[in-house]
Amino acid sequence: MHRLIRILDVILKNALVVLMAALVISVSWQVISRYVLASPASWTEEVARFVMIWVGLLGAAYAFRTGVHLGLDILPKKLTGRPAQILKLFTMLVVVLFSVSVLIIGGGSLVGLTWELRQYSAVLGLPIAFVYSVIPLAGVLICVYALAGVTGEDIAEAEGQADSGV
Amino acid sequence: MTIATLIIVFVVLFALGVPIAFCLGLATLATMLTTMDFSPAVTTIAQRMAGGINSFALLAIPLFILSGQLMARGGIARRLIDFSKALIGSVPGGLAFVNVISCMLFGAISGSAVAATSAIGGFMIPEMNKAGYDKNFNAAVTATAATTGMLIPPSNILIVYAVASGGVSIAALFIAGYLPGILVGIAIMIVCAVYAKRHNFPAGVRVPLGVLARCAAAAIPSLFLIVLVIGGIIAGIFTATEAGAIAVIYAWVLSTFIYRQINMVDLKELLLKSAETTAIVMFLIGTSMAMSWILAYENIPTIVADALVNLSDNPIVILLLINLVLLMVGVFMDMTPAVLIFTPIFLPVAVELGMSPLHFGIMMVLNLCIGLCTPPVGSILFVGCAIAKTSISQIVRPMIPMFFAMFLALMVVTYVPELSEFLPRFFGLID
Repeated sequence: MHRLIRILDVILKNALVVLMAALVISVSWQVISRYVLASPASWTEEVARFVMIWVGLLGAAYAFRTGVHLGLDILPKKLTGRPAQILKLFTMLVVVLFSVSVLIIGGGSLVGLTWELRQYSAVLGLPIAFVYSVIPLAGVLICVYALAGVTGEDIAEAEGQADSGV
Repeated sequence: MTIATLIIVFVVLFALGVPIAFCLGLATLATMLTTMDFSPAVTTIAQRMAGGINSFALLAIPLFILSGQLMARGGIARRLIDFSKALIGSVPGGLAFVNVISCMLFGAISGSAVAATSAIGGFMIPEMNKAGYDKNFNAAVTATAATTGMLIPPSNILIVYAVASGGVSIAALFIAGYLPGILVGIAIMIVCAVYAKRHNFPAGVRVPLGVLARCAAAAIPSLFLIVLVIGGIIAGIFTATEAGAIAVIYAWVLSTFIYRQINMVDLKELLLKSAETTAIVMFLIGTSMAMSWILAYENIPTIVADALVNLSDNPIVILLLINLVLLMVGVFMDMTPAVLIFTPIFLPVAVELGMSPLHFGIMMVLNLCIGLCTPPVGSILFVGCAIAKTSISQIVRPMIPMFFAMFLALMVVTYVPELSEFLPRFFGLID
């Protein structure tokens, strides 16, 4: 279990670095192709938007792993011992409840729906189902990390600093 | 009944410390389940989440987050500080003014106040400590001054507001932020001046004109970003998103090849950190988009508007009430979720009172800046305290006059629309 989580961490981290770089490159290419090459690329906007959906959802799983999602931490900081453990367990349960119902079931049915309706993206012709498949994927990752946290895995590998980017 | 479900589920989960994005998602789900079946409810939420993130305008946020991180690490902050120091460091309490002006300059090239706090505070707080300034005061100055960067463009929170408001122009919001941002900076500097006088803070050394010129020259490559990014947006040459990409490339080239502060390993780390921060914001945007859909579906903004109008029909009083509510919200909630949750509720009320969505956005962001500097919640506050090696309870005292100054600035911004609307109108971005 421990090793598995470590491997998952490494894959997720590298995926996020690559996706983030892809996001920067595609928007930059849009600027360069329009102003320098004077022949605007058509695919850049779509790629960047889809990549951001992936960064947002995979990153949400990673942020859950590092414990940096924004929340009110007055109560969790005040409690110690058994009540603290119960609260942590409750938080994990709530997070899993959301991940299973909305991300895995809801996201899964969204993937199925867009697949059946044969929705493709306007420029690249990518199946929308493929873009949306990150929703159930993120749900599964969050559940795995929650399970790891409950079974005594160190949930926050590094004491992350919450940063809402403002 | 449905509203009660939404509020109760959200408040209970939030108070228990469940991350806000999940509180929003589950409160929305619970509310939807009162009127529809499970399967369509969860599918709708998942679809609203993905649809909410799927926007080209939002792409500016990861780009400005990354460029802010590059600037914070890449030697840009140091040059801005040297320039401010040569400019104003010689007056009594000079380092406090240097801190405020450096934060404003950093805010003028980066979209993130947290980046400003760590970048400017990282240099200025230790230096002010060494010069004998009270460390609690130093942390308080840095945290409050860094918030000016949220009004001074580029600004991530104004992009979030543009999306939450459903279509206020990002270019107009950016330009609108300048005067209110400068006003807050001046208000904080006035407090610093009084404080410096009362505590006999030392004056810095007066620098010769040659040094000033040299520092200014060294800061020009960094400050050129203002012309490039904001100039390009105002002139309509590129969108805020494209400007974000330009800022990333410019900051990367400057910090890697010219200042030589960042290597490939650092870059990888910054990309990961930016992806994480982006995800926190995007996940919040996704779940709050699902929530604002149910809010609109249940007609909640109209209900709130009616309730407020019932309390008073005087616009001045209602705006004051909205401000007080937002101040309280800001104490317990970080800025991004607060903007995402309360824009769809209060904006229709403000518009009904004759306020422009542009003016409301600036007022709301300035209001929540105050909340960002109040304990117990506030990312800037934590960063500032960590650098100054002090605790949050310690810095409350020097913070109080700053709050007062910021509140006065808020009142001016609230009741003088021209302060927010003059520049956008001047540049032809609004009618």
